[in-house]
Amino acid sequence: MSAVVKVENVTQRFRLVQERPDTVRELFAKFFRNSTGYHDFEAVRNVSFEVHEGEMLGIVGSNGSGKSTLLKVIAGVYKPTSGTVAVRGSLAPLIELGAGFHGELTGRENILMNGLLMGFSKRQMMDREESIIEFADLGDFIDAPVKQYSSGMYMRLAFAVATEVNPDILVIDEILAVGDMAFQQKCFERLERFRNSGKTILFVTHTLEQIRRNCDRAIYLDKGVLVADSTPEQVIDMYTETTISEHPELKLSSLAGLSAPAR
Amino acid sequence: MIELVRDAYQYRELVWALAMKELKIRYKRSALGFLWALLNPLLLMIVYTVVFSTIMTMKIPHYAIFLLSMLIPWTFFAQSMAYAAESIVGNSDLIKKVRVPRSVFPLAAVMANIINFLLSMIPLAAIVLILGHPLFATWLFLPVPLLALTIFTVGATFFFATANVFYRDVAHIVQVIVQVWFYITPILYSIDFFPVQFRWLFKLNPLIYVMNDFRMSIYYGQLPQAQSVIASFVCGFLALFLGLTLFRKYESQFVYYV
Repeated sequence: MSAVVKVENVTQRFRLVQERPDTVRELFAKFFRNSTGYHDFEAVRNVSFEVHEGEMLGIVGSNGSGKSTLLKVIAGVYKPTSGTVAVRGSLAPLIELGAGFHGELTGRENILMNGLLMGFSKRQMMDREESIIEFADLGDFIDAPVKQYSSGMYMRLAFAVATEVNPDILVIDEILAVGDMAFQQKCFERLERFRNSGKTILFVTHTLEQIRRNCDRAIYLDKGVLVADSTPEQVIDMYTETTISEHPELKLSSLAGLSAPAR
Repeated sequence: MIELVRDAYQYRELVWALAMKELKIRYKRSALGFLWALLNPLLLMIVYTVVFSTIMTMKIPHYAIFLLSMLIPWTFFAQSMAYAAESIVGNSDLIKKVRVPRSVFPLAAVMANIINFLLSMIPLAAIVLILGHPLFATWLFLPVPLLALTIFTVGATFFFATANVFYRDVAHIVQVIVQVWFYITPILYSIDFFPVQFRWLFKLNPLIYVMNDFRMSIYYGQLPQAQSVIASFVCGFLALFLGLTLFRKYESQFVYYV
Protein backbone atom coordinates (compact mmCIF):
# COMPACT_ATOMS: atom_id res chain seq x y z
CA MET A 1 0.00 0.00 0.00
CA SER A 2 1.35 3.37 -0.93
CA ALA A 3 0.75 6.65 0.80
CA VAL A 4 -1.66 8.95 -1.01
CA VAL A 5 -1.51 11.62 1.66
CA LYS A 6 1.78 12.26 3.37
CA VAL A 7 1.91 14.87 6.09
CA GLU A 8 5.39 15.63 7.37
CA ASN A 9 6.21 17.81 10.37
CA VAL A 10 3.38 20.17 9.57
CA THR A 11 2.98 23.21 11.77
CA GLN A 12 0.26 25.76 11.11
CA ARG A 13 0.63 29.02 12.93
CA PHE A 14 -2.02 31.70 13.12
CA ARG A 15 -1.61 35.22 14.19
CA LEU A 16 -4.31 35.76 16.75
CA VAL A 17 -5.04 39.40 16.46
CA GLN A 18 -6.48 41.32 19.30
CA GLU A 19 -6.46 44.65 17.55
CA ARG A 20 -5.29 44.30 14.01
CA PRO A 21 -5.31 47.67 12.30
CA ASP A 22 -8.00 47.35 9.66
CA THR A 23 -7.86 50.96 8.67
CA VAL A 24 -5.11 53.49 8.15
CA ARG A 25 -6.26 55.45 11.19
CA GLU A 26 -5.82 52.42 13.41
CA LEU A 27 -2.47 51.75 11.81
CA PHE A 28 -1.25 55.18 12.87
CA ALA A 29 -2.78 54.80 16.28
CA LYS A 30 -1.01 51.50 16.73
CA PHE A 31 2.26 52.87 15.45
CA PHE A 32 2.31 55.59 18.07
CA ARG A 33 1.32 53.33 20.90
CA ASN A 34 3.99 50.95 19.70
CA SER A 35 2.08 47.84 20.64
CA THR A 36 2.08 44.59 18.75
CA GLY A 37 -1.52 43.66 19.40
CA TYR A 38 -1.21 40.00 18.49
CA HIS A 39 0.23 36.74 19.59
CA ASP A 40 1.01 33.67 17.58
CA PHE A 41 -0.95 30.52 18.03
CA GLU A 42 -0.06 27.12 16.68
CA ALA A 43 -3.23 25.31 15.69
CA VAL A 44 -1.28 22.31 14.44
CA ARG A 45 2.14 21.47 15.84
CA ASN A 46 4.67 19.28 14.13
CA VAL A 47 2.20 16.68 12.94
CA SER A 48 3.30 13.78 10.75
CA PHE A 49 1.29 10.86 9.45
CA GLU A 50 0.44 9.02 6.26
CA VAL A 51 -2.79 7.80 4.78
CA HIS A 52 -2.66 4.86 2.44
CA GLU A 53 -4.65 4.06 -0.63
CA GLY A 54 -8.05 2.58 0.18
CA GLU A 55 -7.86 3.56 3.82
CA MET A 56 -10.50 5.34 5.83
CA LEU A 57 -8.83 7.38 8.52
CA GLY A 58 -10.78 8.79 11.45
CA ILE A 59 -9.61 11.93 13.21
CA VAL A 60 -10.72 12.65 16.76
CA GLY A 61 -10.01 15.44 19.21
CA SER A 62 -11.86 18.04 21.23
CA ASN A 63 -12.96 21.40 19.80
CA GLY A 64 -9.99 23.55 18.90
CA SER A 65 -7.58 20.64 18.75
CA GLY A 66 -6.63 21.41 15.15
CA LYS A 67 -8.64 18.81 13.24
CA SER A 68 -10.25 21.21 10.80
CA THR A 69 -7.05 23.18 10.36
CA LEU A 70 -5.22 19.98 9.53
CA LEU A 71 -7.85 19.05 6.95
CA LYS A 72 -7.63 22.49 5.41
CA VAL A 73 -3.87 22.20 5.15
CA ILE A 74 -4.30 18.83 3.42
CA ALA A 75 -6.97 20.29 1.12
CA GLY A 76 -4.55 23.09 0.21
CA VAL A 77 -6.57 25.96 1.65
CA TYR A 78 -3.71 26.86 3.97
CA LYS A 79 -0.08 26.68 3.08
CA PRO A 80 1.56 25.17 6.16
CA THR A 81 3.82 27.47 8.14
CA SER A 82 6.41 24.71 8.12
CA GLY A 83 6.50 21.10 7.03
CA THR A 84 5.14 19.54 3.86
CA VAL A 85 1.97 17.93 2.62
CA ALA A 86 2.04 15.64 -0.39
CA VAL A 87 -1.26 14.57 -1.92
CA ARG A 88 -1.40 12.10 -4.78
CA GLY A 89 -4.55 12.17 -6.89
CA SER A 90 -7.62 14.37 -6.98
CA LEU A 91 -9.13 15.52 -3.73
CA ALA A 92 -12.67 16.61 -2.91
CA PRO A 93 -13.10 18.49 0.34
CA LEU A 94 -16.32 18.47 2.34
CA ILE A 95 -14.91 20.76 4.95
CA GLU A 96 -17.53 23.24 5.90
CA LEU A 97 -21.18 23.39 5.18
CA GLY A 98 -21.77 25.56 2.16
CA ALA A 99 -18.11 25.95 1.21
CA GLY A 100 -17.94 26.58 -2.49
CA PHE A 101 -21.62 27.34 -2.75
CA HIS A 102 -23.04 30.70 -3.55
CA GLY A 103 -26.26 31.61 -1.78
CA GLU A 104 -27.82 33.48 -4.68
CA LEU A 105 -27.34 30.67 -7.17
CA THR A 106 -29.69 27.73 -7.38
CA GLY A 107 -28.74 24.23 -6.31
CA ARG A 108 -28.37 23.22 -9.94
CA GLU A 109 -26.12 26.19 -10.73
CA ASN A 110 -24.07 25.49 -7.63
CA ILE A 111 -23.35 21.96 -8.79
CA LEU A 112 -21.41 23.43 -11.68
CA MET A 113 -19.83 26.18 -9.57
CA ASN A 114 -18.80 23.74 -6.86
CA GLY A 115 -17.27 21.34 -9.35
CA LEU A 116 -15.36 24.08 -11.15
CA LEU A 117 -14.03 25.33 -7.82
CA MET A 118 -12.75 21.85 -7.05
CA GLY A 119 -10.95 21.89 -10.37
CA PHE A 120 -13.25 19.69 -12.42
CA SER A 121 -14.35 20.69 -15.88
CA LYS A 122 -17.74 21.90 -17.00
CA ARG A 123 -18.18 18.83 -19.13
CA GLN A 124 -17.44 16.49 -16.22
CA MET A 125 -20.00 18.32 -14.10
CA MET A 126 -22.66 18.34 -16.81
CA ASP A 127 -22.28 14.60 -17.27
CA ARG A 128 -22.85 14.03 -13.57
CA GLU A 129 -25.53 16.60 -12.95
CA GLU A 130 -28.41 14.16 -13.14
CA SER A 131 -26.91 11.59 -10.81
CA ILE A 132 -25.93 14.30 -8.34
CA ILE A 133 -29.48 15.62 -8.28
CA GLU A 134 -30.83 12.12 -7.91
CA PHE A 135 -28.59 11.32 -4.96
CA ALA A 136 -29.17 14.63 -3.19
CA ASP A 137 -32.91 14.03 -3.59
CA LEU A 138 -33.94 17.63 -2.95
CA GLY A 139 -37.07 17.66 -5.06
CA ASP A 140 -38.05 21.09 -6.35
CA PHE A 141 -35.48 22.75 -4.12
CA ILE A 142 -32.78 21.93 -6.63
CA ASP A 143 -33.89 24.99 -8.62
CA ALA A 144 -34.19 27.28 -5.60
CA PRO A 145 -31.35 29.54 -4.46
CA VAL A 146 -29.30 27.66 -1.90
CA LYS A 147 -29.61 30.47 0.63
CA GLN A 148 -33.08 29.07 1.22
CA TYR A 149 -31.71 25.61 2.03
CA SER A 150 -31.70 24.04 5.46
CA SER A 151 -28.33 22.79 6.70
CA GLY A 152 -29.41 19.25 5.92
CA MET A 153 -30.17 20.20 2.33
CA TYR A 154 -26.83 21.93 1.97
CA MET A 155 -25.11 18.82 3.18
CA ARG A 156 -27.03 16.57 0.83
CA LEU A 157 -26.01 18.60 -2.16
CA ALA A 158 -22.40 19.01 -1.03
CA PHE A 159 -22.03 15.32 -0.31
CA ALA A 160 -23.62 14.36 -3.61
CA VAL A 161 -21.28 16.64 -5.57
CA ALA A 162 -18.13 15.63 -3.69
CA THR A 163 -18.76 11.91 -4.12
CA GLU A 164 -20.14 11.96 -7.66
CA VAL A 165 -17.05 13.65 -9.06
CA ASN A 166 -15.27 10.48 -8.04
CA PRO A 167 -12.16 11.93 -6.41
CA ASP A 168 -9.26 9.75 -5.29
CA ILE A 169 -9.39 11.28 -1.83
CA LEU A 170 -12.42 12.49 0.06
CA VAL A 171 -12.06 14.75 3.08
CA ILE A 172 -15.09 14.98 5.35
CA ASP A 173 -15.25 17.30 8.33
CA GLU A 174 -18.17 16.62 10.63
CA ILE A 175 -20.88 17.56 8.23
CA LEU A 176 -22.79 14.31 7.99
CA ALA A 177 -24.25 14.99 11.43
CA VAL A 178 -26.85 17.35 9.97
CA GLY A 179 -28.29 14.72 7.67
CA ASP A 180 -31.33 12.71 8.73
CA MET A 181 -31.10 9.03 9.62
CA ALA A 182 -31.93 7.73 6.18
CA PHE A 183 -29.56 10.05 4.39
CA GLN A 184 -26.71 9.33 6.79
CA GLN A 185 -27.19 5.66 6.09
CA LYS A 186 -27.13 6.41 2.36
CA CYS A 187 -23.91 8.37 2.85
CA PHE A 188 -22.18 5.59 4.74
CA GLU A 189 -23.22 3.03 2.16
CA ARG A 190 -21.71 5.23 -0.49
CA LEU A 191 -18.54 5.75 1.54
CA GLU A 192 -18.27 2.00 1.96
CA ARG A 193 -18.47 1.47 -1.79
CA PHE A 194 -16.04 4.30 -2.28
CA ARG A 195 -13.50 2.68 -0.04
CA ASN A 196 -13.99 -0.72 -1.63
CA SER A 197 -13.04 0.78 -4.97
CA GLY A 198 -9.67 1.80 -3.53
CA LYS A 199 -10.45 5.41 -2.67
CA THR A 200 -9.14 7.10 0.42
CA ILE A 201 -11.26 8.88 3.02
CA LEU A 202 -10.28 11.26 5.80
CA PHE A 203 -13.07 11.57 8.28
CA VAL A 204 -13.55 13.90 11.23
CA THR A 205 -16.48 13.37 13.56
CA HIS A 206 -17.47 13.58 17.19
CA THR A 207 -19.74 10.59 16.79
CA LEU A 208 -17.14 8.08 17.90
CA GLU A 209 -19.37 5.18 17.01
CA GLN A 210 -19.09 6.12 13.33
CA ILE A 211 -15.32 5.98 13.54
CA ARG A 212 -15.39 2.69 15.36
CA ARG A 213 -17.68 1.18 12.79
CA ASN A 214 -16.25 2.61 9.57
CA CYS A 215 -12.59 3.53 9.92
CA ASP A 216 -9.53 1.35 9.48
CA ARG A 217 -7.33 3.58 11.53
CA ALA A 218 -7.64 6.71 13.62
CA ILE A 219 -5.50 9.55 14.84
CA TYR A 220 -6.05 11.70 17.89
CA LEU A 221 -5.12 15.37 18.03
CA ASP A 222 -4.81 17.19 21.31
CA LYS A 223 -4.03 20.93 21.30
CA GLY A 224 -2.56 20.65 17.85
CA VAL A 225 -0.29 17.72 18.66
CA LEU A 226 -0.76 14.24 17.29
CA VAL A 227 -0.90 12.08 20.40
CA ALA A 228 -2.09 8.78 18.98
CA ASP A 229 -2.10 6.98 15.63
CA SER A 230 -3.53 3.51 15.98
CA THR A 231 -6.62 1.34 15.62
CA PRO A 232 -9.95 3.12 16.06
CA GLU A 233 -10.58 1.14 19.27
CA GLN A 234 -7.39 2.24 20.95
CA VAL A 235 -7.60 5.83 19.81
CA ILE A 236 -11.21 6.18 20.91
CA ASP A 237 -10.43 4.66 24.31
CA MET A 238 -7.55 7.02 24.77
CA TYR A 239 -9.59 10.03 23.71
CA THR A 240 -12.45 9.02 25.98
CA GLU A 241 -10.15 8.50 28.95
CA THR A 242 -8.41 11.82 28.47
CA THR A 243 -11.72 13.62 28.15
CA ILE A 244 -13.09 11.98 31.28
CA SER A 245 -9.99 12.82 33.29
CA GLU A 246 -10.08 16.42 32.07
CA HIS A 247 -13.74 16.86 32.94
CA PRO A 248 -14.39 14.77 36.05
CA GLU A 249 -17.38 16.96 36.90
CA LEU A 250 -19.28 15.96 33.77
CA LYS A 251 -19.87 12.32 34.62
CA LEU A 252 -18.76 11.41 31.11
CA SER A 253 -18.01 7.85 32.12
CA SER A 254 -21.67 6.96 31.86
CA LEU A 255 -21.77 8.51 28.39
CA ALA A 256 -18.70 6.62 27.32
CA GLY A 257 -20.38 3.46 28.50
CA LEU A 258 -23.30 4.22 26.24
CA SER A 259 -21.22 4.70 23.11
CA ALA A 260 -19.12 1.61 23.70
CA PRO A 261 -20.19 -1.33 21.54
CA ALA A 262 -22.16 -4.02 23.24
CA ARG A 263 -19.78 -6.86 22.76
CA MET B 1 3.00 36.44 -15.92
CA ILE B 2 3.20 33.10 -17.70
CA GLU B 3 1.75 31.56 -14.57
CA LEU B 4 -1.18 33.97 -14.76
CA VAL B 5 -1.95 33.04 -18.33
CA ARG B 6 -1.70 29.36 -17.45
CA ASP B 7 -4.02 29.69 -14.44
CA ALA B 8 -6.44 31.79 -16.45
CA TYR B 9 -6.50 29.17 -19.18
CA GLN B 10 -6.77 26.19 -16.88
CA TYR B 11 -9.53 27.82 -14.85
CA ARG B 12 -11.22 29.60 -17.77
CA GLU B 13 -14.52 27.85 -17.14
CA LEU B 14 -14.44 28.90 -13.50
CA VAL B 15 -13.56 32.52 -14.38
CA TRP B 16 -16.43 32.55 -16.83
CA ALA B 17 -18.84 31.01 -14.32
CA LEU B 18 -17.82 33.51 -11.64
CA ALA B 19 -18.22 36.40 -14.08
CA MET B 20 -21.67 35.19 -15.08
CA LYS B 21 -22.51 34.84 -11.39
CA GLU B 22 -21.52 38.49 -10.84
CA LEU B 23 -23.71 39.66 -13.69
CA LYS B 24 -26.56 37.43 -12.70
CA ILE B 25 -26.53 38.78 -9.17
CA ARG B 26 -26.23 42.34 -10.42
CA TYR B 27 -29.39 42.04 -12.48
CA LYS B 28 -31.22 39.61 -10.25
CA ARG B 29 -34.79 40.35 -9.28
CA SER B 30 -35.02 43.21 -11.71
CA ALA B 31 -37.95 42.96 -14.08
CA LEU B 32 -35.79 43.75 -17.09
CA GLY B 33 -32.88 41.54 -16.06
CA PHE B 34 -30.05 41.44 -18.55
CA LEU B 35 -31.67 44.20 -20.57
CA TRP B 36 -30.25 46.57 -17.97
CA ALA B 37 -26.82 45.83 -19.34
CA LEU B 38 -28.00 47.56 -22.51
CA LEU B 39 -30.32 50.12 -20.95
CA ASN B 40 -27.91 51.34 -18.33
CA PRO B 41 -25.28 52.71 -20.71
CA LEU B 42 -27.99 54.00 -23.00
CA LEU B 43 -29.67 56.03 -20.25
CA LEU B 44 -26.31 57.18 -18.97
CA MET B 45 -25.43 58.30 -22.47
CA ILE B 46 -28.61 60.31 -22.77
CA VAL B 47 -28.04 62.03 -19.43
CA TYR B 48 -24.42 62.88 -20.12
CA THR B 49 -25.18 64.04 -23.61
CA VAL B 50 -28.05 66.29 -22.61
CA VAL B 51 -26.18 67.72 -19.64
CA PHE B 52 -22.86 68.33 -21.28
CA SER B 53 -23.99 69.39 -24.71
CA THR B 54 -26.38 72.00 -23.33
CA ILE B 55 -24.43 73.30 -20.36
CA MET B 56 -20.93 73.20 -21.69
CA THR B 57 -21.87 74.42 -25.18
CA MET B 58 -18.79 72.95 -26.73
CA LYS B 59 -18.29 73.21 -30.42
CA ILE B 60 -17.91 69.52 -31.00
CA PRO B 61 -20.13 67.99 -33.67
CA HIS B 62 -21.99 64.88 -32.56
CA TYR B 63 -20.82 65.48 -29.02
CA ALA B 64 -22.71 62.38 -27.84
CA ILE B 65 -20.48 60.11 -29.86
CA PHE B 66 -17.38 62.09 -29.04
CA LEU B 67 -18.19 61.58 -25.36
CA LEU B 68 -19.32 57.98 -25.54
CA SER B 69 -16.31 56.84 -27.52
CA MET B 70 -14.30 57.34 -24.33
CA LEU B 71 -17.00 57.08 -21.70
CA ILE B 72 -17.83 53.46 -22.48
CA PRO B 73 -14.25 52.18 -22.18
CA TRP B 74 -13.86 54.39 -19.13
CA THR B 75 -16.92 52.82 -17.54
CA PHE B 76 -15.36 49.42 -18.15
CA PHE B 77 -12.24 50.53 -16.29
CA ALA B 78 -14.09 52.32 -13.47
CA GLN B 79 -16.55 49.47 -12.85
CA SER B 80 -13.76 46.93 -12.86
CA MET B 81 -11.98 48.99 -10.22
CA ALA B 82 -15.09 49.07 -8.08
CA TYR B 83 -15.41 45.29 -8.32
CA ALA B 84 -11.70 44.70 -8.02
CA ALA B 85 -11.24 46.15 -4.58
CA GLU B 86 -13.88 43.75 -3.31
CA SER B 87 -12.93 40.77 -5.44
CA ILE B 88 -10.77 39.06 -2.81
CA VAL B 89 -12.45 40.33 0.34
CA GLY B 90 -15.93 39.68 -1.04
CA ASN B 91 -15.08 36.08 -1.84
CA SER B 92 -13.70 35.34 1.60
CA ASP B 93 -15.99 32.34 1.94
CA LEU B 94 -14.40 30.65 -1.01
CA ILE B 95 -10.88 31.73 -0.18
CA LYS B 96 -11.11 30.35 3.33
CA LYS B 97 -12.62 27.05 2.33
CA VAL B 98 -11.59 26.01 -1.14
CA ARG B 99 -8.23 25.65 -2.78
CA VAL B 100 -8.37 27.63 -5.97
CA PRO B 101 -5.91 30.09 -7.53
CA ARG B 102 -6.67 33.46 -5.96
CA SER B 103 -6.19 35.16 -9.32
CA VAL B 104 -9.51 33.81 -10.64
CA PHE B 105 -11.46 36.33 -8.55
CA PRO B 106 -9.99 39.58 -9.88
CA LEU B 107 -9.99 38.05 -13.36
CA ALA B 108 -13.68 37.22 -13.04
CA ALA B 109 -14.39 40.81 -11.97
CA VAL B 110 -12.72 42.10 -15.13
CA MET B 111 -14.39 39.45 -17.27
CA ALA B 112 -17.85 40.46 -16.03
CA ASN B 113 -17.11 44.02 -17.08
CA ILE B 114 -15.75 43.00 -20.46
CA ILE B 115 -19.10 41.36 -21.12
CA ASN B 116 -20.84 44.55 -20.04
CA PHE B 117 -18.55 46.59 -22.27
CA LEU B 118 -19.30 44.44 -25.29
CA LEU B 119 -23.02 44.67 -24.61
CA SER B 120 -22.86 48.46 -24.44
CA MET B 121 -21.33 48.56 -27.91
CA ILE B 122 -24.81 47.67 -29.18
CA PRO B 123 -26.57 50.81 -27.92
CA LEU B 124 -23.53 52.84 -29.00
CA ALA B 125 -23.83 51.56 -32.54
CA ALA B 126 -27.55 52.34 -32.41
CA ILE B 127 -26.88 55.93 -31.33
CA VAL B 128 -24.23 56.37 -34.01
CA LEU B 129 -26.74 55.31 -36.64
CA ILE B 130 -29.57 57.39 -35.18
CA LEU B 131 -27.48 60.55 -35.08
CA GLY B 132 -26.29 59.95 -38.61
CA HIS B 133 -22.63 59.68 -37.64
CA PRO B 134 -20.69 57.33 -39.90
CA LEU B 135 -20.14 53.82 -38.59
CA PHE B 136 -16.47 53.75 -39.49
CA ALA B 137 -14.59 50.68 -40.64
CA THR B 138 -12.04 51.55 -37.94
CA TRP B 139 -14.45 49.96 -35.44
CA LEU B 140 -12.78 46.76 -36.56
CA PHE B 141 -9.60 48.02 -34.91
CA LEU B 142 -11.32 48.24 -31.48
CA PRO B 143 -10.16 44.83 -30.20
CA VAL B 144 -6.62 46.26 -30.07
CA PRO B 145 -7.31 49.12 -27.62
CA LEU B 146 -9.68 46.80 -25.75
CA LEU B 147 -6.82 44.36 -25.24
CA ALA B 148 -4.49 47.14 -24.05
CA LEU B 149 -7.14 48.49 -21.68
CA THR B 150 -7.88 45.00 -20.37
CA ILE B 151 -4.21 44.40 -19.60
CA PHE B 152 -4.01 47.71 -17.76
CA THR B 153 -7.25 47.03 -15.90
CA VAL B 154 -6.18 43.54 -14.84
CA GLY B 155 -2.95 45.00 -13.46
CA ALA B 156 -4.77 47.74 -11.55
CA THR B 157 -7.30 45.18 -10.35
CA PHE B 158 -4.62 42.91 -8.90
CA PHE B 159 -2.99 45.89 -7.23
CA PHE B 160 -6.08 47.21 -5.49
CA ALA B 161 -7.55 43.80 -4.71
CA THR B 162 -4.36 42.96 -2.82
CA ALA B 163 -4.13 46.31 -1.05
CA ASN B 164 -7.75 46.10 0.07
CA VAL B 165 -7.17 42.77 1.79
CA PHE B 166 -4.81 44.42 4.24
CA TYR B 167 -6.41 47.85 4.51
CA ARG B 168 -10.11 48.12 3.83
CA ASP B 169 -9.73 51.87 3.35
CA VAL B 170 -8.45 51.08 -0.12
CA ALA B 171 -11.95 50.38 -1.45
CA HIS B 172 -12.94 53.94 -0.55
CA ILE B 173 -9.73 55.49 -1.75
CA VAL B 174 -10.09 53.75 -5.11
CA GLN B 175 -13.45 55.42 -5.67
CA VAL B 176 -11.90 58.84 -5.14
CA ILE B 177 -8.92 58.06 -7.34
CA VAL B 178 -11.16 56.87 -10.16
CA GLN B 179 -13.34 59.97 -9.82
CA VAL B 180 -10.39 62.36 -10.02
CA TRP B 181 -8.86 60.32 -12.81
CA PHE B 182 -12.10 60.67 -14.75
CA TYR B 183 -11.86 64.46 -14.75
CA ILE B 184 -8.18 64.70 -15.61
CA THR B 185 -8.69 62.41 -18.57
CA PRO B 186 -10.12 64.30 -21.55
CA ILE B 187 -13.35 62.33 -21.70
CA LEU B 188 -15.87 65.15 -21.33
CA TYR B 189 -13.70 67.66 -23.10
CA SER B 190 -11.05 67.76 -25.75
CA ILE B 191 -7.38 68.26 -25.13
CA ASP B 192 -7.53 70.92 -27.88
CA PHE B 193 -9.22 73.31 -25.44
CA PHE B 194 -5.92 73.73 -23.65
CA PRO B 195 -3.02 75.89 -24.70
CA VAL B 196 -0.33 73.95 -26.50
CA GLN B 197 2.28 74.50 -23.79
CA PHE B 198 0.18 72.61 -21.23
CA ARG B 199 -0.83 69.63 -23.35
CA TRP B 200 2.22 67.56 -22.43
CA LEU B 201 0.76 67.29 -18.93
CA PHE B 202 -1.99 65.05 -20.25
CA LYS B 203 0.60 62.63 -21.57
CA LEU B 204 1.57 61.73 -18.02
CA ASN B 205 -1.78 59.98 -17.67
CA PRO B 206 -1.16 56.31 -18.46
CA LEU B 207 -4.72 55.82 -19.65
CA ILE B 208 -4.75 58.64 -22.17
CA TYR B 209 -3.17 56.64 -24.98
CA VAL B 210 -5.63 53.80 -24.91
CA MET B 211 -8.56 56.18 -24.43
CA ASN B 212 -7.44 58.19 -27.45
CA ASP B 213 -7.23 55.01 -29.50
CA PHE B 214 -10.87 54.31 -28.73
CA ARG B 215 -11.90 57.83 -29.71
CA MET B 216 -9.87 57.77 -32.91
CA SER B 217 -11.48 54.52 -34.01
CA ILE B 218 -15.07 55.29 -33.02
CA TYR B 219 -15.44 59.04 -33.42
CA TYR B 220 -12.81 60.20 -35.92
CA GLY B 221 -12.74 57.05 -38.01
CA GLN B 222 -8.96 57.06 -38.13
CA LEU B 223 -6.51 54.39 -37.19
CA PRO B 224 -4.60 55.49 -34.07
CA GLN B 225 -0.95 56.36 -34.51
CA ALA B 226 1.49 53.54 -33.94
CA GLN B 227 3.24 55.42 -31.09
CA SER B 228 -0.06 55.78 -29.28
CA VAL B 229 -0.84 52.08 -29.61
CA ILE B 230 2.63 51.13 -28.44
CA ALA B 231 2.40 53.55 -25.51
CA SER B 232 -0.96 52.07 -24.51
CA PHE B 233 0.53 48.58 -24.36
CA VAL B 234 3.64 49.75 -22.52
CA CYS B 235 1.43 51.38 -19.86
CA GLY B 236 -0.76 48.28 -19.75
CA PHE B 237 2.11 45.88 -19.20
CA LEU B 238 3.72 48.15 -16.62
CA ALA B 239 0.47 48.16 -14.65
CA LEU B 240 0.15 44.41 -15.04
CA PHE B 241 3.72 43.85 -13.87
CA LEU B 242 3.24 46.07 -10.84
CA GLY B 243 -0.13 44.63 -9.86
CA LEU B 244 0.88 41.05 -10.42
CA THR B 245 4.12 41.41 -8.45
CA LEU B 246 2.24 42.74 -5.44
CA PHE B 247 -0.46 40.09 -5.81
CA ARG B 248 1.99 37.19 -6.07
CA LYS B 249 3.92 38.42 -3.07
CA TYR B 250 0.92 38.44 -0.76
CA GLU B 251 -1.62 35.98 -2.18
CA SER B 252 -0.68 33.18 0.23
CA GLN B 253 -1.46 35.56 3.11
CA PHE B 254 -4.98 36.39 1.92
CA VAL B 255 -6.55 33.46 3.71
CA TYR B 256 -5.53 34.88 7.10
CA TYR B 257 -6.88 38.35 6.50
CA VAL B 258 -10.15 38.04 4.60
